Amino acid sequence: MITIRKSDERGHFNGGWIDSYQTFSFGNYSDPAHTNFRALRVMNEDRIAAGKGFGAHGHRDMEIFTYVMEGGLAHKDSTGERHVLRPNMIQAMSAGTGVIHSEFNASETEPVHLLQIWITPAMEDVPPRYQQFAYDPCEKQGRLRLLVGPDERPTEPAAFIHQDARAYACVLGAGKMLERPIARGRHAWVHCAQGNIAVNGVALKTGDGVAVSDEQALQIEGEGQGGGEFLLLDLA
Amino acid sequence: MAANALVVFYSRYGKTEQLALAAGVGAIQERANIRLRRLPDLTDASVIRADAAWTENLDRMRREYIAPREIDIQWAEVLILAAPQDRTAEMELFLDTLGESVRGKIGLAIGTFAAEAAKTGLIVGAVAGRPEDATAAAREAVKRAKGVGRG
Repeated sequence: MITIRKSDERGHFNGGWIDSYQTFSFGNYSDPAHTNFRALRVMNEDRIAAGKGFGAHGHRDMEIFTYVMEGGLAHKDSTGERHVLRPNMIQAMSAGTGVIHSEFNASETEPVHLLQIWITPAMEDVPPRYQQFAYDPCEKQGRLRLLVGPDERPTEPAAFIHQDARAYACVLGAGKMLERPIARGRHAWVHCAQGNIAVNGVALKTGDGVAVSDEQALQIEGEGQGGGEFLLLDLA
Repeated sequence: MAANALVVFYSRYGKTEQLALAAGVGAIQERANIRLRRLPDLTDASVIRADAAWTENLDRMRREYIAPREIDIQWAEVLILAAPQDRTAEMELFLDTLGESVRGKIGLAIGTFAAEAAKTGLIVGAVAGRPEDATAAAREAVKRAKGVGRG
């Protein structure tokens, strides 16, 4: 079963400095029909104006990772971590017992465009943890590049999260096809970050997502003129 | 129901900010909702501009924090206040504005202004000096607000 979540049906908040689209209920956007999919709790697409961002605020018991499509996001937190996150970087934060952080556009001139994803952890009260590193963009060309997962020794460098969930990034050129089996009892979420793709024949444009349950495999194809960039979440 | 904890601090170079963050983390550990607010400077802008480290920190902190608002104080069940040991003017001015609105609320004073804070009617508990003490004291303050750990 494949259920589409259309881009223009998402929650939307424009605060001037931020233009945010929310796949699931978040902040002032509350829709009982769209609160989460399995452990996937938040999928926000944010555009943050130059020099602006989220001031210091707290998190507890949440696995949070950010995927930057364009620009840079400066992160600073109460564990002393200070980094700038850019495209082709992996970043994940386990809030655990408690973290305070701020996130600002690292540029004074250009906007930053990103996805922020929250995964409900399998356990509470874990020590806070922050991970960030870069990868070669060719690693996600036409293949699923693991970003985060529950494995301490993953098949390729990836951030650890406290949940039986894996997130992958992929860029598929127009006409390119990728097949991915889905293990029995597993579920998937595919979010089209940019461009056009089709998932088992269902066309997705930028911002669209699909919930996938009771399927044996995914056939994902790059469509339109330039294909598309997407995130795939493999969920229990 | 999670308690609401408002952290209000004054910091120039970031040291008291770190204490405030440590206290905020303690409140989160007790599953409180938190808001962090920085008090505006009373020092003349030309004096601050002549101090490069202060200016740099101030530019950053002005982005990361807004000043406390009346609705923040109404929202909070716990007030966590932090000021430098040698500089309490900004905090004292803030305490003067609180009036009766905080009487009976749970407070935590990090710094040398605990007596002034108590005069506002805040129920001020432990006074903390190091970040780990601030975390522990904030946890205690939230527990008191939740009615846990009394007696």
